Amino acid sequence: MRSKGSKIFTIIQHEYISKVKSKGFILSTILAPLAIVAIYGTVIAVTLMSSGETTKKIAIRDLTGQIGIELVSRDTSKFFITEKSEEELRQEVLSSELDGFMIIDDKFLETGYGNVYTSGGGGLGFISSIEQNTEDIIVNKKLKEIGAENSIIDLVNRGVSITTKKVTLEGSREDYSQMLAFLGYFLGFLIYGLMFTYGSFVMRGVIEEKANRIVEVIASSARPFEIMFGKVVGIGAVGLTQVLFWLILLMILFFAGGTIAQMFMENSQNMKMMADTANQPNNAEILHFFENFSISPWIIVAFLFYFLAGYFIYSSLFAAVGSAVDQEQDASQLTMPVALPIIIPIIFIPNVMNNPDGTISTVLSLIPFFSPILMVSRIAAGDVPLWQILLSIVLLAGTFVLCLWFAAKIYRVGILMYGKKPTFKDIIKWFNLD
Amino acid sequence: MKILKVEGISKTFGNYKAVNNISFEVEEGKIFGLLGPNGAGKTTTIRMITNIIYPDKGKIEILGKSTGPDIQNSIAYLPEERGLYKKLKVLDQLIYFARLKEVPKDIAISRAKEWLSKLGAAGWENKKIEELSKGMQQKVQFIATILHEPPVLILDEPFSGFDPINTELLKSIIIDMKNAGKTIILSTHVMSQVEQLCDDLVLINKGNVVLSGAVRTIKSSYGSNTVIMEFDGDSNFLNELPGIKINDITTHRVEFRVDNHELTSNHILKTAMNNNVTIFKFEKVEPSLHEIFIEVVGNENKKEIKDAV
Repeated sequence: MRSKGSKIFTIIQHEYISKVKSKGFILSTILAPLAIVAIYGTVIAVTLMSSGETTKKIAIRDLTGQIGIELVSRDTSKFFITEKSEEELRQEVLSSELDGFMIIDDKFLETGYGNVYTSGGGGLGFISSIEQNTEDIIVNKKLKEIGAENSIIDLVNRGVSITTKKVTLEGSREDYSQMLAFLGYFLGFLIYGLMFTYGSFVMRGVIEEKANRIVEVIASSARPFEIMFGKVVGIGAVGLTQVLFWLILLMILFFAGGTIAQMFMENSQNMKMMADTANQPNNAEILHFFENFSISPWIIVAFLFYFLAGYFIYSSLFAAVGSAVDQEQDASQLTMPVALPIIIPIIFIPNVMNNPDGTISTVLSLIPFFSPILMVSRIAAGDVPLWQILLSIVLLAGTFVLCLWFAAKIYRVGILMYGKKPTFKDIIKWFNLD
Repeated sequence: MKILKVEGISKTFGNYKAVNNISFEVEEGKIFGLLGPNGAGKTTTIRMITNIIYPDKGKIEILGKSTGPDIQNSIAYLPEERGLYKKLKVLDQLIYFARLKEVPKDIAISRAKEWLSKLGAAGWENKKIEELSKGMQQKVQFIATILHEPPVLILDEPFSGFDPINTELLKSIIIDMKNAGKTIILSTHVMSQVEQLCDDLVLINKGNVVLSGAVRTIKSSYGSNTVIMEFDGDSNFLNELPGIKINDITTHRVEFRVDNHELTSNHILKTAMNNNVTIFKFEKVEPSLHEIFIEVVGNENKKEIKDAV
């Protein structure tokens, strides 16, 4: 009479196809990566532009007769020497002829204390650039005074730079700890966004079916559990489709990025020499990065697994919330306890990224409600012992079964309840109803 | 053959007893009226038959089997509150609902097209539900309900939202289905529709069965002490006669019941003539179901019924 699983498959298919074909899905799939590129692009562009800004004109009244000249020689567009009195300079700043002035008193070489007067603020970048420049000048002068060798002066100017290498079976290779920590952040936030987005899709779908009285028709055709679970799986498949699409896009970009970097290398040997002298990652480094930095396939597998596990747990809870209300506006209060455990790990991500292997990180990332976000961040940022991963998988599976059971019980009653907005007490009553 | 047997079912929600030990049987190939005032427990009963909720006590058998998920494909259910996916196209909607009853997609498509043209809705396949008028949506909903061609149909207020022309169209479709051997359970507040369509009925009030049997038997058992009179003049003389209860009165037509056995037709007509009232028609008939409904459900529910009917 009724073949097992065929109804649930029909529901999954319906949820998947109607969502994937929708304009919203197609647009968000294409626009989201563009939005990320645009946001990061803007941030980088703003940073580059503001670092080159020379809007501040600073007059220097130098009583030592030594530092001012060197400061000016470092940035002639920003600094110039003046002989005017302090009072005259104050008037110029007040009348906006001048952005600011610096008084270098005759004891500056000994004390290192100086004052900069501006029309207001100036920003952290401005202050630290003056500090950096004057410090360099003083240190160089002092070193020369005590007769230090040029090699020592060079070393002091250049500073210490430590490259971390990772010990592997084959020897050692570049360690991209910082890059990986960044990746950990990024993946954690991505899972957070995906769980919220797709969880609320499930909730809205449940509310739509209830508000439009569709659910009674469907409930006369399939079990409430099949309806709920079919929706969760169908929309989850939509999420997976979107993530896989982005993953493929990323792989293409990464491959293309390496090729482009190589092209640049071959075309401009000069640039390489130029870049060598500059204090920034040069072409060789970039090329090296593309050659050696590979995201382990395990990170991708872990990402997909934890995303789906987290999605399944939260979306079934969102489905329960959706079944309890008549319209979306009523859902916000009930959404809180479901949304909170998604938000909490985001607060902890910085701590976990600082010390991915610490006790607190380990414990937090094993809590099933947190592990979709925190475990992925840890796996991306470093090596997580296998037993911890396995333990978190077991805990997640158990939590999922519990949440699904709990949600299904509420859903069964909730979809047929109209009228009064339910309280938590009411929902607990429903739970015991059948 | 009894295609549906409801045996002593009860359902309680918290402290509220929605259905209390209800039993009735539905004969195959008949149109069966499931009647009752609002809140009587009709929807709860239907939901238990369609396996949306489960009875606390009692048993429901359809086609000789206990009700359950396996039986859902044998039932069509048109709920009183209609619902379709607003953004979905008509044909996709119909296919989805049919496939939920495990009708193969190609069969669903051909049946859907057939029914759309039967209901004067050919060419709607690619329209979104939200583009349709309420009446059009009702047609789509009806088609969605019956596309799997089950032996048992449960229709809750099937005519609501339809204009008179479409109401007649739907009535003839329901009668065609009956003639094709389908069993139809009709729940409605419109008693004239029950009189026109139903063979048997059960009347539920406050979770209990208060009346059941064949429509004909029920009506004749209430006797023929109801009078339909068409007239011209002042009908106030009726109020002077003892034992007359007016059911329905308009300018030129009145329907009343004579409770007083000593009050003969001759006496009534004589009084009419003395009051200069011209009589065009004077007919003694069986009471209408409407009247029986009101009498049976009783005075305590009267206000509720006025809202409902």
